[in-house]
Amino acid sequence: MKAREKAEYYLNARVLGPALLRGQRWAAEARARGASPWASSHLAPPLSISPRLKELVARHWLEGRYANVSRRVAWVTSGAPVEFLKALDFFVLYPENHGAICGTARCAVDLATFAEEAGYSRDICSYARTDLGSLISGRTPVGRLPRPDLLLACTNICQTVLFWYWVLANHFRVPLIVIDTPFVYREEASPHSLDYVRRQIEEAIPVAERVAGKVLNPARFDRVGQLSREACFLWLEILERNRHEPAPITAFDEFVHMAPIVEMRGEAFTVDFYAAMLEEVDRRIARGISAVRPERRRLLWDNLPIWYRLRYLAEQLAERGVAIVASTYTNAWGELAPLMDPDHPLESMVRAYTYPVLNRGTGHKLSTMERMIRDYHLDGVILHSDRSCKPYSIGQMDQRDQLVGAMRTPALLLEADHNDSRCFSEEQVSNRLAAFLEMLGV
Amino acid sequence: MLPDIPRRSDVIRSHKAQGGRVAAVLPIHYPRALLRALGFLPVEVWGPPALDYARGAAHLQPYVCSLVRNALSFLLSGGLDIADLIVIPHGCDSLQGLASLLIDFVQPRQLVLPVYLPRSPTAAGVAFLGEELRELGTRLASCAGHPLDTRELWQAIHREERAEGVLQRLHTERLRLSLSNLAHYRLVRSREYLPAEIFTDLGEAALANKSQEPIGGIRFVLSGVLPEPMALLSALDTMGVVVADDDLIACGRRLYPPGQSEDPFQHMAESLLAAPPDSTRGSSIDSRLEHLLGLTRRVEAKGVVFSLVKFCEPELFQLPSLRQGLKEAGIPSVVLEGDLNDPFSLQAQTRLEALVEMIQ
Repeated sequence: MKAREKAEYYLNARVLGPALLRGQRWAAEARARGASPWASSHLAPPLSISPRLKELVARHWLEGRYANVSRRVAWVTSGAPVEFLKALDFFVLYPENHGAICGTARCAVDLATFAEEAGYSRDICSYARTDLGSLISGRTPVGRLPRPDLLLACTNICQTVLFWYWVLANHFRVPLIVIDTPFVYREEASPHSLDYVRRQIEEAIPVAERVAGKVLNPARFDRVGQLSREACFLWLEILERNRHEPAPITAFDEFVHMAPIVEMRGEAFTVDFYAAMLEEVDRRIARGISAVRPERRRLLWDNLPIWYRLRYLAEQLAERGVAIVASTYTNAWGELAPLMDPDHPLESMVRAYTYPVLNRGTGHKLSTMERMIRDYHLDGVILHSDRSCKPYSIGQMDQRDQLVGAMRTPALLLEADHNDSRCFSEEQVSNRLAAFLEMLGV
Repeated sequence: MLPDIPRRSDVIRSHKAQGGRVAAVLPIHYPRALLRALGFLPVEVWGPPALDYARGAAHLQPYVCSLVRNALSFLLSGGLDIADLIVIPHGCDSLQGLASLLIDFVQPRQLVLPVYLPRSPTAAGVAFLGEELRELGTRLASCAGHPLDTRELWQAIHREERAEGVLQRLHTERLRLSLSNLAHYRLVRSREYLPAEIFTDLGEAALANKSQEPIGGIRFVLSGVLPEPMALLSALDTMGVVVADDDLIACGRRLYPPGQSEDPFQHMAESLLAAPPDSTRGSSIDSRLEHLLGLTRRVEAKGVVFSLVKFCEPELFQLPSLRQGLKEAGIPSVVLEGDLNDPFSLQAQTRLEALVEMIQ
């Protein structure tokens, strides 16, 4: 590292930047004690830990901005086994999370347009288009993305990431590790599938070691795995607190606060953050604070959020006393925590990364929804039919029919896209929601 | 003169009349020999095109590719009633979803058997696929009601490898075959339902009639998913274009070289994974571009036509880089993208004509 770059890195990423972000957090915390930012008086004030989340996320991207001068950088998919990369001290960046940030910042369509002008079809995933557009244009709401030294794509969320990461590998000319997780059509993955995933992880480690220029320390690997597990368990506990009636938080809070569990697993500060969040959620329950007041109906959300309309949906629903208290999407980062065994880190990693809901059959997802409806005492389901996410969306029409028929649970299929606002018709969504809520009796 | 190609329905009826069973197989890569060794005739289901897809639309959103939607519509309208089982290789998220939907919700009369194709181009991937095929063999044997005979499996493997050799030659010697584009692809695509031995005889008959001189015309390479609608091929014939080779998922990317292992399942796995680079098998863009450029150089092609099915993510992600690579090599290309139910449009014809005129 050149002396000047090193100095710039320490000054900006370690001293000035964090100090500035800490100041912004204090200011935000002070503001939070004042008026509620919601247009709806039916929503509880945002969690007081939110400014700390913003600080955490902003520090992550600030570190990323200077990461190329301080560490090796890996770009990875959201369901990838990152523990060995963390243990090798990679700075780990999740393009999907970056896509979601662009979605909430409402610049995703502008960025996607650059990708579309370069020939990428509007029929491919909007996260991918957003990130490819960011690459092409050099624009991003997070300042600057570090160049990757390594790419890691795991197919346990979709095959799309594989095609997307080959584009990245072609662009950056860096090694791509593929962890291919055979889809689990029935109850259990076959022994040869698990063996295949294990072999790939074992083969990936030396590749990552070569790029990192260091050897994996088993003790550090175990420690990262343990931290990952602790954070996932805390996240699961937070989600399960919403079994309480009235629910202390909504799925919209979960969508916003899930960033660390996705992109900062394996870090002590992530564990601290979720421990603090759990305390606050418990305080809300103890004080009888309801996320939506009054809470008249409780719903389940299926599929990715509509990032650019979180506030709109939260407020629309709250006005009618409807709380979305659970989501199959946020649940995905918690439900696998029990599979993680600190005594058998590699073997348990193989199972945990083979069994995400997106790598399992449509019937399994319906069973998950049925369980959540029961456990969270839910009155209905909104299934976001996400044009950009085929593996999550295929099966929803039959799932809805089963929910409405055999389970007698009202369910609504809502057509949109997680990042491309051109696929969101506010009038249509508003009408469909109104009809659905009427059916729910609110 | 090429002998008549037996019709799909006649082949199925004849196979059934002899006590055989039929496996409806969805795209893309699967072990034909394993099915044949257990008495199942594999008959591929690529859509089919130009179908009323309303029944499929009751289960699948409009942004799912028409190949998958049509297959489901075809099944639900009784088109696959003649099949004894359905095999769905894992080719993409949409095919994965279809298999899962059939197993969990639609539950057709026939047994549905998914097969996962590894995307990791390593020894671990080959070993996995070998075991996956072994497991498929066990399930097929259970469905057939008799165990798999290893000797019969090897005989089937050798029959399929002979057919593969003929299919390979039909591609490499295309320019010496006096066949229109339409006739050539009718012959090549008869591999989708003909038993290997009949296809081998047909292909050898066509190859026996090859000319000394290459046939004339502007040479194009066809890439993308499949040569549909077939009117595309007729249009190219009319424009004086000869499809000199292809990189189509349905055709040229399924030229399987023989495997090497002495274990029949590993042997079949090696063969399936050694086919030309394919987006759906997780091949890199570099390998695909190199292969595509190799094809264009070998046949001295003047242009490339990408024939895509709407919503096909594996292809759509790689398309811009492939077109850029071709452009840098001085080879123009055109993209025709549509739904399987769409007819060949005047717009597509105009675009092809523009490309031909530019080359001329």
